[in-house]
Amino acid sequence: MRSFEQKKTQVDDIDRSMYDFKDKVNASFEVKSGLTPEIVNQISVEKNDPEWMRLFRLKSLKIYNEMPLPSWGPPLDGLDIGHIVTYVRPNTEMRSKWSDVPDDIKNTFERLGIPQAERLSLAGVGAQYDSEVVYHNVRAEVAAQGVVYTDIESAMHGKYAEMVRKHFMKLVPPTDHKFAALHGAVWSGGSFVYVPPGVSVTIPLQSYFRLNAPGAGQFEHTLIIVDKGAYLHFIEGCSAPKYNVANLHAGCVELFVGENARMRYSTIENWSKNMYNLNTKRARVEKGGAIEWVSGSFGSNTSCLYPMSVLQGEGARAEFTGITFAGKGQNLDNGAKVLHLAPHTSSRVSTKSISKGGGCCTYRSSVVIAPQADHCKSSVSCESLMLDSESRSDTIPVMDIRNDEADVGHEAKIGRISDTAIFYLMSRGLSEDDARSIIVSGFAEPISRELPMEYAVEMNNLIKLEMSGSIG
Amino acid sequence: MNMTLKQVNALPVRTWNWLGVNGTPLEGDVPESFPRAEGKITLPDSVSSAAHPFEGAGIIRTGMGPEAERFVLKKKNAGYDLEAGPGVKAEGPVFIEYRLGPSCPALADCNTILARENSELTVVMQYASDGEGPVFHGGVTKILAEKNAVVHLIQVQLLNDSAVHFDDVGILTREGAFVEVIHAELGGSKAFAGCKARLEGRRSRLGTETIYLGENSRELDMNYVAEHIGRETESEMHANGALMDESQKIYRGTIDFQLGASRSVGHESEYTLLFSPNVRNRTAPLILCNEEDVEGQHAASIGKIDPHKLFYLMTRGLSEAEAKRIVIEAQFTPALEKIPSEELRQTVLEWLKERMDRNETIG
Repeated sequence: MRSFEQKKTQVDDIDRSMYDFKDKVNASFEVKSGLTPEIVNQISVEKNDPEWMRLFRLKSLKIYNEMPLPSWGPPLDGLDIGHIVTYVRPNTEMRSKWSDVPDDIKNTFERLGIPQAERLSLAGVGAQYDSEVVYHNVRAEVAAQGVVYTDIESAMHGKYAEMVRKHFMKLVPPTDHKFAALHGAVWSGGSFVYVPPGVSVTIPLQSYFRLNAPGAGQFEHTLIIVDKGAYLHFIEGCSAPKYNVANLHAGCVELFVGENARMRYSTIENWSKNMYNLNTKRARVEKGGAIEWVSGSFGSNTSCLYPMSVLQGEGARAEFTGITFAGKGQNLDNGAKVLHLAPHTSSRVSTKSISKGGGCCTYRSSVVIAPQADHCKSSVSCESLMLDSESRSDTIPVMDIRNDEADVGHEAKIGRISDTAIFYLMSRGLSEDDARSIIVSGFAEPISRELPMEYAVEMNNLIKLEMSGSIG
Repeated sequence: MNMTLKQVNALPVRTWNWLGVNGTPLEGDVPESFPRAEGKITLPDSVSSAAHPFEGAGIIRTGMGPEAERFVLKKKNAGYDLEAGPGVKAEGPVFIEYRLGPSCPALADCNTILARENSELTVVMQYASDGEGPVFHGGVTKILAEKNAVVHLIQVQLLNDSAVHFDDVGILTREGAFVEVIHAELGGSKAFAGCKARLEGRRSRLGTETIYLGENSRELDMNYVAEHIGRETESEMHANGALMDESQKIYRGTIDFQLGASRSVGHESEYTLLFSPNVRNRTAPLILCNEEDVEGQHAASIGKIDPHKLFYLMTRGLSEAEAKRIVIEAQFTPALEKIPSEELRQTVLEWLKERMDRNETIG
């Protein structure tokens, strides 16, 4: 009989070949590497910013220069902003037909399956290539409902200019942290979505972000306003080919969910393993509204990502469902933040993580219940699976409760595949391999079922688990 | 003089600064001089009081950290170095009682406990105060539990509402040893506690039971760390408490599975009852894991008394206040049952009853 102690579960690394192809860099314009007031001004001029935005960028740069690096979290030693090119404009304008997009860029998105997904299951698509959006389109019937889905630069100059100005980096101010300040200084690209009151967008919108240029940064800004009683499901995807130099992603997502509105924000993050993913996402939810985050984090060298839900209005609620898979050389520090600011608000956070091959997963979270937020409920659950002892898995949750009319629960589990569970399944006639496979699939299943079908399939492919025939 | 310790109870891994849990400064007025203080000690015959700390005590790290330890060493005016010889099963607990007040306003006690192979001893330390004047207590206790030794350390703090107090513990366990620490933090204006255990020996174990009571504007700050180094080590860390009035509390509990600690198990839990809209409760239960073959779990629950429990008790004829008292006492029972003295247990229960009676939301 084989010893239970000796054998280890073998889990394949994620197959990245479908993302790891490179286009020849064919930029029409790019700034020098580094970060100076001249570079920031240059980006502003190139993007034809309104004056308030130019000043905002410079103010953000000043904040960036004054702020220290975070004293917590994964090391950022390999990231030198002096070597990052913060703006790379692809050699095309934004198009609304794929046939008008240059072949090399179009082929990239074809290989990623974006136009096909648009045809099959999406109400609109935005595609960003390096620093600019190259394609944006929304179905006519959705547009006819008054839904606005466009690149943020167009919105800033058009009919929605005031709305953009009123909301831009108000939820995530540049003072929030050093990389929010960096974003404020050099942001480019991203999407603007407005869903009018009472409109339910029954099929999702999707933005896909592709970073092709080596040593570059991507700093897209996503601003979504879901008005009273409306519903939107927004999907964000991202990938990049692997280079030997560090790339940086410091995007910013600001979601404004109105009274009794509901929004689901799904992300499959699949950056290459040279990427520093220092992204900031935040939602403000008004009375009776709901935000649902679904997050799959598989790529990046280093990731710091903690979507925050600010429950501003009475009865608002937040759900966060996330999975993180860290393999060799990856340090993925992910989690969620919830701020209960109003009575009768509720939140539920559920996360899973798998670390293997020397990968490091950290679950980091905060739940804050403010003094005025009576009768709030919050429940947090996180589970981590370690597949070998080269890897690391840390759980760092904090709860800050300032109101006695609160009900807050937290539970966390860390460990290996249970011998008892394997034994039970084997006693039901399953082979050892099948038993283990079922357990690991079952571990990820609560998350994958929250994803749209095609993303669930993608995720299952990403976590393709091959068992070696023994228990770890 | 003003005591300023820049950071104590540091979280083993830092998180967002704005949460204020990465560590806490400890400030307070302490007397200029710390004249020799005498505790009342009851020492079983089989336990000896040594002249010096055991060898290696200095390198055992504590939960509150080096600043707190340095301060106590500098001001030391009391303390005992206890030793249970090989195979000694102490016939009764060691009782050490300090009373702080006008005649002894400041106490800095350094204690060591050495439990030799296969020995077993229980040490009970009680800190109480006479009168309501400001008093200070800072204590450090280092424990070395050799192979298969068993040590129970019970520290009960019943100081007055103006006291500044901290209790800091450092533990090292050899193979098969078991150390249990019971902390009852029930008084003071500032009550800090720390405990760090290095579970080095195979199959060694740590158990901590902490109870705390926040009232008035009491500031409670705690840091418990179990470092699993050896194989098949176990930790059980549990905390239960109640916060009233404008009290504040931070509880940090960390299970740290280090590489090589295979087949180790760590559990931690914290249950906090809240009785006032002005309290602030912060909880940071960490699990750090660098070893695959382990099992770690933590659970925390923070909120009001379950109304169904209250309702049930009230249908049995109890008043609301009585029902609340029973629920709170039940919360504290697992720790109180481990106090090996009926008299001290009753003192603690009386203390709790008195505090609950005078609190409007309970009594």
